Amino acid sequence: MKANNLRNFFIPALILSAIVCSLSSISVAQETYPSRPIDVVTHTSPGGGTDATARAVLRGARQALDANMSVLPRAGGGGVVAMAYVNNRPRDGHTVLAITPTHLFAIARGQGPLSIDDLVGVARATDDPIVVMVRSDSQLQTLEELIDSGREQPIKWGTTQIGGVDHVAGAILAQKAETQLSVVPFAGGGEIVTNLMGGSIDAAGLNLTEALDQLTRGDFRALAVMSEERIPVINDVPTTVELGYDVVFSTVRGYLVLEGTPEDRIDTLERGMMESMQQPEFQDYLQGSGLDASSIAGRVEWDNQVRRLYNDARAAMISLGIIQED
Amino acid sequence: MNLGFEYALPVLTDPYVIGLIVAGTLVGVIIGALPGLSSSMGVALLLPFSLYLEPIPAIALLSALYCAGTFGGSITAILINAPGAPPAVATAFDGYPMAMKGEAGRALGIAAVSSVSGGILSLLVLLFAAPLLARIAYSFGPPEYFALGVFALSMLASISGEAPLKNLIGGCFGLLIATVGIDLTTGVERFTFGVPELYEGIQFIPVLIGLFAVTELLSQAQELGRERIAVALSALKLPTLNDFRRVKNAILRSSGIGVFVGVLPAEGSTMAAMIGYNEAKRWSDQPEEFGKGTIEGVAGPEAANNAATGGAMVPTLALGIPGSATAAVILGGLQVQGLRPGPYLFEEQPGLLYGIFFAMLLANILFLFIGLLGAKVFARISLIPPTFLWPTVFALCFVGAYGLNQSIVDVWIMIIAGLVGFILKKNGFGPAPIIMGIVLGGLIETSLAQSMIIFDQQWSGFFSRPIAMAFFVLAVVSLTGSQFRSLFANLLSRRRKNT
Repeated sequence: MKANNLRNFFIPALILSAIVCSLSSISVAQETYPSRPIDVVTHTSPGGGTDATARAVLRGARQALDANMSVLPRAGGGGVVAMAYVNNRPRDGHTVLAITPTHLFAIARGQGPLSIDDLVGVARATDDPIVVMVRSDSQLQTLEELIDSGREQPIKWGTTQIGGVDHVAGAILAQKAETQLSVVPFAGGGEIVTNLMGGSIDAAGLNLTEALDQLTRGDFRALAVMSEERIPVINDVPTTVELGYDVVFSTVRGYLVLEGTPEDRIDTLERGMMESMQQPEFQDYLQGSGLDASSIAGRVEWDNQVRRLYNDARAAMISLGIIQED
Repeated sequence: MNLGFEYALPVLTDPYVIGLIVAGTLVGVIIGALPGLSSSMGVALLLPFSLYLEPIPAIALLSALYCAGTFGGSITAILINAPGAPPAVATAFDGYPMAMKGEAGRALGIAAVSSVSGGILSLLVLLFAAPLLARIAYSFGPPEYFALGVFALSMLASISGEAPLKNLIGGCFGLLIATVGIDLTTGVERFTFGVPELYEGIQFIPVLIGLFAVTELLSQAQELGRERIAVALSALKLPTLNDFRRVKNAILRSSGIGVFVGVLPAEGSTMAAMIGYNEAKRWSDQPEEFGKGTIEGVAGPEAANNAATGGAMVPTLALGIPGSATAAVILGGLQVQGLRPGPYLFEEQPGLLYGIFFAMLLANILFLFIGLLGAKVFARISLIPPTFLWPTVFALCFVGAYGLNQSIVDVWIMIIAGLVGFILKKNGFGPAPIIMGIVLGGLIETSLAQSMIIFDQQWSGFFSRPIAMAFFVLAVVSLTGSQFRSLFANLLSRRRKNT
């Protein structure tokens, strides 16, 4: 009887401690880099796209750098909690921040302890442009027709968070095209897809990863891609830039360290992550999400993109009146 | 790459794969039983390892963990009033009182059998009707969710019927808690007091641990001086065949509810279990026994929450839209394998569906054994003197609340919820209405706001949605149900007199 009790408490305790240990870092003072486990700090609970992508990157990076690397979730506040955590860690390359546009929008709104100048790009894992979609039985064949319809009656436009990337993208497009949106916010891309299918909304700006199936099967029609260049998978869909609207927004996922991290360590991190992402396993992961190899990018390209995305987001929010110019 | 049944069969009869499923089930039951460690977290942590496996074994492992995790939550809910996972909340309503009466083994046995029945029924639905049923998801827009939420909230009237006013106060308190965080439709922060951890609202799990386990701990601590009624060894007795006969209808009804609610993408096992519990009570011959420890009160929610796991896999696989948080992680697992869930998946890889079906079936059968054989072992926990048991539970509560997001704010939420729960309990308020308020508050408010935008702020828009209207009618019937029943009974007896 006693043995049984003991076992009942021991097994859970063992598993618990194993999980806790794998998530927390144990510091060992050494000269070489990496000298202790590297944490990649995410802003969501385990299970979302950011989490899955980070885990897929780390799998190969662990081997490439011969280091222990793990995902450290710091959920809350639209990335603010994660940014605050990273800000309190030493800038020695052992703490990496996984970012999405959410973080950049939060910084632009003045939330959290970091400014854009604190961020130094390491590598980009995914670049997923926003695509304007309608149901395929909709009367609307082109972006122009959608815009015209909005001038008569506001377009019911599904977005995720208010003030998030797809909301701002839609609002900026409407502003430049002088049409009206009636924004219907949902909790996630899956809900937008369901509601666009079910007819509760007219159009939405969805990521390709969220609606590739509905596109290929012919349930949805893509009217425009919010990027400068066309996407290979849907090569016949024009870009917003081609159509004369300079509205470029995409959902990116990439990795950053904070300003002050030694250059050689950033290079090492970049090398490890890039090697991992070029392996077939990661490429399979990208393909499963409807993306291709152009999705990944190194330090320079990614760092430039982060700054451009931030500036665009800031300008967009100023022109929408969400934030004030200072 | 056509992986048909012929391909799936040898893969699944491979001892290695069966071993994986057994391991997934065991880990799932343990993770599910520990408060704060949820099956979605377990699946997420296993995800990187599953990358080294072939697609079918990998998904088999993840889905076995998923359904075992849902079952595991009931063990701690019954034994120590600390639901190991949110779906097991309703199981604690009657499961824990049963354990207090010295019927822990009976409660655990009923929970195991109900879970497995619900789980297997939902798997059959998944196998035969997935593409068809998945279409339901499309016909559920915000107005339908609002109506469903209103229907579920109407259960407040019946869920514990002794003090309707206190239920209403409890329900409103829960709704108030659900308002914390950034409002989805306006983007405005409410009651966050500048704490970033509260932007996304008060986390459900710490509240749950506080309201159940910590509250119970405080009550137990108060009674320590009192002489303890020795719980007889009857605690180890398993349910009898007669017991099963009594809960048969509750299981069937709850399985149907569970599959339906599970299929809806935004709703999960927790709501299924709540509705399952309430319907079991509504249709029972002895509704007054609910809350005091009746086997129907365990069977109802347990069948429903496990049926919801199979239900949740339907839109996940057939549409690529996750039916629950854990299903979302499994969806991620499929994508990591380079597979795109959706309508094409079954045409291109029919073997995968069989793989998932067999893995979940095997997991269900396995935890029937774990549940029934283990019941005798687990039930001994209820024989541990409280002076030893509750300090251990207290430590477990902290780990559970902290482990979720590794956030100390969640630990404070747990402690506050525990203290509040204790004060409320002393004054005759039960946790059920509060939990319902929290679960439904966000859904009702958000879906109403969305509906009004869709209807251009015209209330009459709801009349154009037949499914929504049907749920409104059900809500009215549920509120006035008892009056209708007595009216009906009167008419019947009068007619009998006449003839």
